[in-house]
Amino acid sequence: MSWSSRIAAAAGRRAVRLVPAARRDWAEAVWAEAREVPPGWPRLAWRAGGVLLIAKEGQMARRIGILLLGAVAAGTAAWGAWPKSSVSLSHGAASQGDVIITLTLLAGLPLLTRRLLGPPDSRAARWLRAGFYVAILAIMPAKAVAEMFVGAVPRGGIDRHTFDLSNSNGGLPVPGSVSGGPDWGGEIFLLFITACYLAVILALTARRTKVAPATLAISARAGLVLGLVVYAVDPLGGEKIATNPWLRGSAADPLVALAWVLLFSAPFVAGALAAQRCHVPDDPGRASIARAWQGFAAGLVCNGVGALTATVLGTSTTALMLKSAWVRGWLYHWHPLTASALYGRELWASEDVAFYADLRDLPDHRDHGSPVRRGVRQQAPSAAGQRRSGWTAGPRRA
Amino acid sequence: MGSRSEFSPQTLAVLAALSGQPSAWQHGYALARETGLKSGTLYPILIRLADRGLVEACWQDEPAPGRPRRHLYRLTADGLASATTALAEAEVAAAERAATAARPGASPRRGRGVAAPVVP
Repeated sequence: MSWSSRIAAAAGRRAVRLVPAARRDWAEAVWAEAREVPPGWPRLAWRAGGVLLIAKEGQMARRIGILLLGAVAAGTAAWGAWPKSSVSLSHGAASQGDVIITLTLLAGLPLLTRRLLGPPDSRAARWLRAGFYVAILAIMPAKAVAEMFVGAVPRGGIDRHTFDLSNSNGGLPVPGSVSGGPDWGGEIFLLFITACYLAVILALTARRTKVAPATLAISARAGLVLGLVVYAVDPLGGEKIATNPWLRGSAADPLVALAWVLLFSAPFVAGALAAQRCHVPDDPGRASIARAWQGFAAGLVCNGVGALTATVLGTSTTALMLKSAWVRGWLYHWHPLTASALYGRELWASEDVAFYADLRDLPDHRDHGSPVRRGVRQQAPSAAGQRRSGWTAGPRRA
Repeated sequence: MGSRSEFSPQTLAVLAALSGQPSAWQHGYALARETGLKSGTLYPILIRLADRGLVEACWQDEPAPGRPRRHLYRLTADGLASATTALAEAEVAAAERAATAARPGASPRRGRGVAAPVVP
């Protein structure tokens, strides 16, 4: 047997593993039969047919297409989230680390899960995974926009004025420069949470965990509804101030109450429905265990999908509003809201934001050293107390 | 006009080759030589026929020394019945086409009719 034949045979044996197990015999058959074909071109043509068979049965075109699509999506998200040259070194390093680790998690965790628990074996599982990937990739650039905004000193206008007011002790920062440093603890915590959610979803959609496709479908739908309702009720935060002027009611507003009820009940409802759909004949003991497992898995998936949906929509809305005064005005009915104030609403849902409107109403608010500044500081009860002023652009991370 | 067969000409050729010795197990290279099909065409046809329960496949029990085991194929009972019917229909269709072509004044038709396989 020549060295070229050995190489071809070895390559064929490796390639056969790309074919699903149910079809593997056929691919192996072509390779085994090649030994009976006269050497030279006929044998080469026979093996070429085998390669075609493997490509077709292994759905190589689909796999390569998905891989390319994933690479393009990841590249676009990374490009959007990658820090620009105007960002300080520490902010840039944090954002770069965030992007690299998130992409590593997205690429590495599925391989690890595949080795330990097997591949996804249903359409529902594959769709759920794809949805999670799209959501995490969408969060990356949106989060970067919000974080870069926190660290940036506004170049001018009312945002700059707001920034100066909130930095009365911080000297005179250069407009357009970056103030403060990244919140490393927060970044690590967010990455950890992302990794946990991703690992749970990958595990529950793997073959060996035996979560039924119906369970995944029910819980994903329930989670989607949950996320949409939470976003609709509290699009930019968890406190009532964030939802003004849409919902001017108190924290006991019926819609807010509905969101809280859904938050806790949706996973239970999804779990109950999934358990009801689970049938294990002839063994009551095994049936109850299987039902409990399907219900538990449905609750986890519902929770994960809901949280991710609300996060994607909320973060994207924040990023859009920070980037676009038009969107900001449209959503807030041309309420006099700057990007700084908006960020304060979103991030901390701080009541300090309310004072921003008061600031706008005062006639000489452009005078940085005027009594107005002192007055505003005095009006903001929580600015010096339990939390930082929510309407500031800069000093979130000192 | 004969009805269109549910099998392609290539599939009919494979069925014809297998139905020539219905009880004998045949290997892929022999079928390829007999039908003139390349491996990239032959094996997908065998896979589809096996999926429909018309062909059964197994691995050779005792391979020749120094040779890998070969995959063997033969028609099932359903496969034999389907092959017989399909080949008969193909022959009738081919005969009709030949008669139409031989009729005076008939123009030669370029249709997508089923080519008559070579039945051994």
